[in-house]
Amino acid sequence: MAREISYRYWSDINEGEALSRVEMDVPFERVILDAAATQDYFPGHHNPAYAKHQGQKNIYLNTMAIEGFIDRVATDWAGPHTFIRKRQMQMRASIYAGDTMIGEGKVERRYEEDGRTLVDVSITISTQNGACVPANLTLELPRS
Amino acid sequence: MTEQFTVPFPLQYGTYEDALKMVGKPGNRVVAEFSVNWEMIKVFCALEEDGNPSFWDEEYAQKQWGGIIAPPGLLLTWGMSLQWHPEKERQHYFVAMKVPLPGDTLINVGTSTEFHRHLFLGDRIAAEDRLLDVSEEKRTRLGVGHFLTTQADFYNQKDELIAVQTNQLFRYYVAEEG
Repeated sequence: MAREISYRYWSDINEGEALSRVEMDVPFERVILDAAATQDYFPGHHNPAYAKHQGQKNIYLNTMAIEGFIDRVATDWAGPHTFIRKRQMQMRASIYAGDTMIGEGKVERRYEEDGRTLVDVSITISTQNGACVPANLTLELPRS
Repeated sequence: MTEQFTVPFPLQYGTYEDALKMVGKPGNRVVAEFSVNWEMIKVFCALEEDGNPSFWDEEYAQKQWGGIIAPPGLLLTWGMSLQWHPEKERQHYFVAMKVPLPGDTLINVGTSTEFHRHLFLGDRIAAEDRLLDVSEEKRTRLGVGHFLTTQADFYNQKDELIAVQTNQLFRYYVAEEG
């Protein structure tokens, strides 16, 4: 079913505003799809025995899958006219097959720089076990 | 005790001093195996359940950006090596995988990326990466090893800068439980 597309404009955004929450299940199929979609066959992403050898409890999502989900949290809220100018992310805990991934965020700052209308947002990706990946993004949005 | 895995991940082995010798050396420029294509974009968007019309709707993308663009999260994928090639040996394109150190495994820790331009269908990136830093030995909850910081610059076929990414990973071995 098609989702409704949200379009946010720089002039209408308030600092402190919450981003829309995004939730997505991560069954084994999605972790395997991740390896295939990103061409990343590092064994921690498809081989449970290797993941356990690494000290992980199961196969886990790779960096690109989490980056893509962070970006989706930003653009589902701000709209497809968003240009992601900067993204920083830190993976403090892994997201495993069987987890549910939750993305939440907040507007930290709205400003103009070098002729660009920018919004800084903080996003946290969590699972049912707590926060895993904090991220900070700078988004360029149309003024109005 | 962990189960045995059958295929160890190929890495370069050496000492911390060997690794330090690689810091700051200019990296190779590698032209991506994959050109930016709509099929891989759609598979990635299916992974993320991302309905952004910049990736799906030609009419919208044309009006907004001048064509379908690649999701920023796919940046590294275009430069990944094929599992098999008739002429080339399979290799890691990224310098972080080639640094000699003791650890038999690794995990990525974080990224910081600045995006300058979009990638469009048919674009082919070239990436240049280099090792910025190797930490002294550290112990984390996963094991004992070294943090590697690398920087990769990505260009399109017109030699325009697409993105600059700094990456940090942990190269380690699992410490024996004491």
